[in-house]
Amino acid sequence: MQGITRLIAAFSAAALIAGPAAAQAPAEQKADEVPSPQQAERERAAAQPGNNAPVWKEVRSGQPNYTSIPGRETDVLIQPGARFPGQSHFSTAGEAWRQFRNGVVTFYGGWLVVLVLVAILAFYFAKGPVKLHEPPTGRLMLRFTDFERIVHWSTAISFCILAVSGLVMLFGKHLLLPLIGATLFAWLTMLGKNLHNFVAPFFIVSVVVMVIIWLRDNLPRAVDLQWLNPAKVWGFFAHSEHIPSGRFNGGEKIWFWAGVLGLSIVMAWSGLVLLFPNFDQTRAAMQDAWVWHASAAMLYICASLGHIYMGTIGVEGAYGNMRNGYTDETWAKEHHELWYLEHKGDRRVGGTGGAVPAGAPHMKENA
Amino acid sequence: MARMKFLCDAERCIECNGCVTACKQENEVPWGVNRRRVVTINDGVVGAEKSISVACMHCSDAPCMAVCPVDCFYRTEDGVVLHDKDLCIGCGYCFYACPFGAPQFPQAGAFGLRGKMDKCTFCAGGPEPDRSEAEFQKYGRNRLAEGKLPACAEMCSTKALLGGDGDVIADIYRDRVLRRGKGSEVWGWGTAYGPGKPGAAPAQPRKS
Repeated sequence: MQGITRLIAAFSAAALIAGPAAAQAPAEQKADEVPSPQQAERERAAAQPGNNAPVWKEVRSGQPNYTSIPGRETDVLIQPGARFPGQSHFSTAGEAWRQFRNGVVTFYGGWLVVLVLVAILAFYFAKGPVKLHEPPTGRLMLRFTDFERIVHWSTAISFCILAVSGLVMLFGKHLLLPLIGATLFAWLTMLGKNLHNFVAPFFIVSVVVMVIIWLRDNLPRAVDLQWLNPAKVWGFFAHSEHIPSGRFNGGEKIWFWAGVLGLSIVMAWSGLVLLFPNFDQTRAAMQDAWVWHASAAMLYICASLGHIYMGTIGVEGAYGNMRNGYTDETWAKEHHELWYLEHKGDRRVGGTGGAVPAGAPHMKENA
Repeated sequence: MARMKFLCDAERCIECNGCVTACKQENEVPWGVNRRRVVTINDGVVGAEKSISVACMHCSDAPCMAVCPVDCFYRTEDGVVLHDKDLCIGCGYCFYACPFGAPQFPQAGAFGLRGKMDKCTFCAGGPEPDRSEAEFQKYGRNRLAEGKLPACAEMCSTKALLGGDGDVIADIYRDRVLRRGKGSEVWGWGTAYGPGKPGAAPAQPRKS
């Protein structure tokens, strides 16, 4: 850079000397030649002394200049103009990001989470949980191995910590701060931020392991297409109508591919950009990363609310499966019929499962 | 009450970095942080080179203040934008939002470990009692409480950098422009002090 600067300086000195000569022969200049900003500034300085417009125009572009102060982007005087989705005007990138964060993400993101929560609760009180049609047989099948459950709950608990601390950082200022005061709220948010930073790598590792162990059982099958039919899905939730499926049903597979895998990739990538701000990424990169991180987080939280609902109060018996690892044959038959038929009486059920432990509760041999 | 502002005269700044040094020395600024910096545009290009000293401009509608998740920024009665390091969680949002690159992460820790953000205080300290030891440790000298103006502007050898009551420094600058007949751009004022929304009330200081 130094060399180039010197070269420009040498050229400009030469140009100054040659200036009067060039002015006498304007016909030689090509009409389509666009003068460089430096050239424009020199010309302006000759024609209109004191008019620095080209300099200031250059500054507003956010381009790097010279500074002796070490550090990233210290040579940028002012952030360049930017426009985030939904903004009609360009403003300084920082200001544009502020408008997007405090406006679109806070407002629409916040209400989206509230609406999803309200919709789920309204559905629960209107229609109730998905129920079994037949009484439990008392015969249990191994649905999730110990390892699968450890991985699931590692992911789930770290997700909840990340989600709650993230929500506090975005909405706490409006909801919590007026209630508990600045000192306690700042302490709580500091704790939340540190948890967010240190739990995040644990979450990423958990997701990677989870994707590996459940990848095969989540490969789409023809029967899963029924989960794209709104009438069928409504029938399942509202009237407990059965949709046959393998170990995981179509809905679970959508959650696996779009949520656990897709959204996690967006969250992990953008999160890592934000986690290490003293690497060499620019402010623009971090603003963009934040927008992806927060937008994906809103979708992830909403989707997880649905998953948590179905895994707890929304579907009778679902929570016990992931808590204990065993499911009743009636539940298996009514929710995952193909998996039930494949593994009925099988001592080695579950996708990656090992042998059923001898001490499994109420385990009965199928004749 | 005066509305404190910074103004840098690009026709006068000679890129001596005296303001940077004055600030670092006066406030004992942490290692790796420069609250003020001098940027040179068209460096070495004869007739086109201009230098600007830039730090926190203490904006009227400050983006840093707006994005802070814990609301640790506040405005003094002099219009100076300060932050409370006891509340700051070091998330860096103010650093993304600031047009001028004023708030910075301290860089001294291993692995780029983050602490409380640091930025120019207009030599007005922080929320601690004026001129207390705690205030000096966290924010540097409170020169305003001593009846002085920021060290950077006071130290400027060509009086390119002006810091003080916005009306007073604008008058000084207007005189200069009329006298020399050029260089009327008040750099950064549009962004920092803005035209604002028509009819909007000026930003109010927070009572704390």
